[in-house]
Amino acid sequence: MNRAHVSVQGITKRFGPTVAVDGVSLDVEEGSFTTLLGPSGCGKTTLLRMVAGFHHPDQGDIFLRGIRVTDIPAHRRNTAMVFQEYALFPHMTVGENVGYGLRLRRVSADEATRRVGQVMELVGLAGQQRKFPHHLSGGQQQRVALARALVVEPEVLLLDEPLSNLDAKLRIRVRSEIRQLQQQLGKTTLYVTHDQEEALAISDRIAVMNRGRILQLGTPLQIYHHPVNRFVADFVGLANFLEGEVSAPGQVRMEGVSLTVPDGALPGRRVTVVLRPEAIRLHARPPEGVANVLRGYVTAASFLGTLARYWVDAAGRHWIVDVPSPGEALMTGEVFLEIPRDRIHLLTET
Amino acid sequence: MARPLLESGHRVVVMPMAVARWGEIRRQTADPGLLLTFLGTAAALGLFVLYPAFRVLVYPSLRDYLAIPESLRWIQAARNSLMMMVLSTISATVVGLVFAFATTRPDLPGRRMFRGLAMLPLFAPPFMVAFAYILMFGRQGLITRSLLGLQANIFGWHGLWLVQTIAFFPLAMLIIAGVLDAVNPSLEHAARNLGADEWTVLRSISLALARPGIAGAMLVVAISVLADFGNAVIIAGGFPLLATEAWFRMEGMGDLKGAALVVAMLLIPTVALFFLERYWVSRRVYTVVTGRGSRIERPSTPPVLKWGAVAICSLVSLLVLLVYFGVIAGAFTAVWGRDWSLTLEHWRLAADRIASLWSSVKIGALAGVITGTVSVVVAFLTSRHLPFRGVLDFLAVLPGALPGVFVGVGYVLAFNATPIGGTVWVLAAALAFWHLPMGYQAASARLKQIERSIEEAAVNLGATGLQVLRDVYLPLLVRALVEAFAVSFIRAVTNVSIVIFLIAPGQVVATFVILNMIQNNIWGAGAALTTMLLLLTFASIGVTWIAVGRTVRSPGMG
Repeated sequence: MNRAHVSVQGITKRFGPTVAVDGVSLDVEEGSFTTLLGPSGCGKTTLLRMVAGFHHPDQGDIFLRGIRVTDIPAHRRNTAMVFQEYALFPHMTVGENVGYGLRLRRVSADEATRRVGQVMELVGLAGQQRKFPHHLSGGQQQRVALARALVVEPEVLLLDEPLSNLDAKLRIRVRSEIRQLQQQLGKTTLYVTHDQEEALAISDRIAVMNRGRILQLGTPLQIYHHPVNRFVADFVGLANFLEGEVSAPGQVRMEGVSLTVPDGALPGRRVTVVLRPEAIRLHARPPEGVANVLRGYVTAASFLGTLARYWVDAAGRHWIVDVPSPGEALMTGEVFLEIPRDRIHLLTET
Repeated sequence: MARPLLESGHRVVVMPMAVARWGEIRRQTADPGLLLTFLGTAAALGLFVLYPAFRVLVYPSLRDYLAIPESLRWIQAARNSLMMMVLSTISATVVGLVFAFATTRPDLPGRRMFRGLAMLPLFAPPFMVAFAYILMFGRQGLITRSLLGLQANIFGWHGLWLVQTIAFFPLAMLIIAGVLDAVNPSLEHAARNLGADEWTVLRSISLALARPGIAGAMLVVAISVLADFGNAVIIAGGFPLLATEAWFRMEGMGDLKGAALVVAMLLIPTVALFFLERYWVSRRVYTVVTGRGSRIERPSTPPVLKWGAVAICSLVSLLVLLVYFGVIAGAFTAVWGRDWSLTLEHWRLAADRIASLWSSVKIGALAGVITGTVSVVVAFLTSRHLPFRGVLDFLAVLPGALPGVFVGVGYVLAFNATPIGGTVWVLAAALAFWHLPMGYQAASARLKQIERSIEEAAVNLGATGLQVLRDVYLPLLVRALVEAFAVSFIRAVTNVSIVIFLIAPGQVVATFVILNMIQNNIWGAGAALTTMLLLLTFASIGVTWIAVGRTVRSPGMG
């Protein structure tokens, strides 16, 4: 028996000629926060909506606690969802919005009032039940939508880009609130976003999707440091990519350079070297006694507050290098790049 | 992320192939209530929209159609109708454009007043402008004879031209102003920033962007002019027109086949214009609503432009006011043109015919209920992923292309020989379905504003199809329902073009009585009864306004 709380098995969904979701399988453990991350049109929202029951998969099955729910209509699955545009009922008060699911479940009025009060307190909106949604700010509407989903005590909480309509600062605050609430309640959560930073910050596990498939499933650290392919490396964070050939064990040769890399790839194979900008060290003078040093020239520099970003020409290509806590002045002119061997990630795909 | 095709592909009627899609359809239609409603509505639209039109077109034989060019009178009527269409469309659009321009410039004195006054003709019964202008400018006209001592004859094409210009320019104004309003002010500011003066901005930006709106306005006005029956029957005199010819054929000669032929001839240009507007012009509107543009004040309008517009608007507003003044004055004047003393005598005469007003209200209410209900139901159905919903949509907007006289003849041919022939039901159904496009489009627009996710949120929380309808759609569509009722009601009680064909003995309605009075020169009582009709109209607008908390969209002309 599959012990996953939510299990998606071999799901395919087509819309006309477009394959929105292409044979996806995914297990979500009880109490975990799993994020579906990917660019527009990658199928993440479609997958989420199939879990909610808004779309019926063409192939494959969906299980909740091991029970097949593929054919159960949306209104009979207990998979409360927070919508991107909140979807609050404009003609109902906040209290009526939050209590709507309880009313449909024939919870007594007293009990419903009590539970609505509780959940409103939980999301930090105590006593706002009598207002209408349009009286509230975007962030508050967001919380009402969250409260409305939580109050029915769903099997799994589904969130579809819930932060995309908030401004940058608020987005960061609300996302940590959502994460805290989720951990406090231990609620199994499936979250959809196209924002890689958000995904890294909030998730237990991330499923990176593209063209209807899951490319990689892993913790935020695994995804960032050990991407399985160029797409994942490129989509999550910034990276320098260098293509070359393994010349000897632990050596990759490319045009003009040879780098010492971690062991693993067989000689003769084409590989892509992935280097995060902050993995590269920048020196004004050639460092002594280290491998992988390249001489380069700063073409542009940009001060970003907590770090400085340099565009460096070295070995006939452009490099992006992030240097944390820059001092009083930015470097210019000739510089030396040091590439620590253990910070190099190799992709052996072709 | 991109929404799946199902949500974005509203225009797609039936997508080819796709087992997946048939799956969705199966799930939707698995709801027996929904399926039954769908079939019932489709049947009703087929019976009350398509069938009468079909009957008109097949009633004359092919030989009758082929003989049209041999009838001098019909050729003349067709030529006259087209001539009036060109003249009145151009003049009404020009006046409408001036008003639209004037009322969208913030620094134009009296702009709100001008917009308000320009709306008045929309609420007048469709024969009222002609009636008032006979009183003002006719042989016994207050202005032409009593004030200026002229021997004027307003009957004929020139009188009709003036009347149609005043009657239909508000339509043009509304459409063009809608487009001008939607022009993002930052586009104009961008042009100024690049060095354009106000004239250049107006010419190269504002008017250029409004061009599709102007084209759309011309097409809508042209349809109204072609179909105009009320004004034409009163003021055209011996000037034959297609719209009135149908009525003369049937009433004067009992020539049903002739009437059918004439309205079929009238249908060709109106349908062509209608679909040109709907599927071509209205899709070329550049002004996309993209959130709120910057609310920077427009710089002042060049004085020549400003005072020129004020002058034209003032003159036209005066002509509009004369429409209301003429009829109301007529209701209190002893003998128009001879004895100007005040009297209530006409009201006594009108009160004798008050029963006709009650039948108008009864039929209007019936039509309003039908229009309201059918509008909301069709709008709801076409918003579902049902097969053939495009057909439903088409049938619900089609009546907008049909002239009133066409519908009138169609219902005579379709239902007179049936058991319901000659009852109020036929008249109410004709009026209700003729007004369906307005109610349906309003309800549909309202429904589109309701985010799909609102429904999904309800389903997600456990609501069944019926609970969604009860808890989400009905509360949000009440306003659309009330408005559809009100517009249909007002237009039904003031209608003449359909009423005149379907009037049943013992069910005489007010507009019919008024028309007879005017044609028999019983002006005072006609004016009094028209004034009552106006009171009824404005009272309904008031009640609706209270009910839904804002003004009803203008009911337009019938």
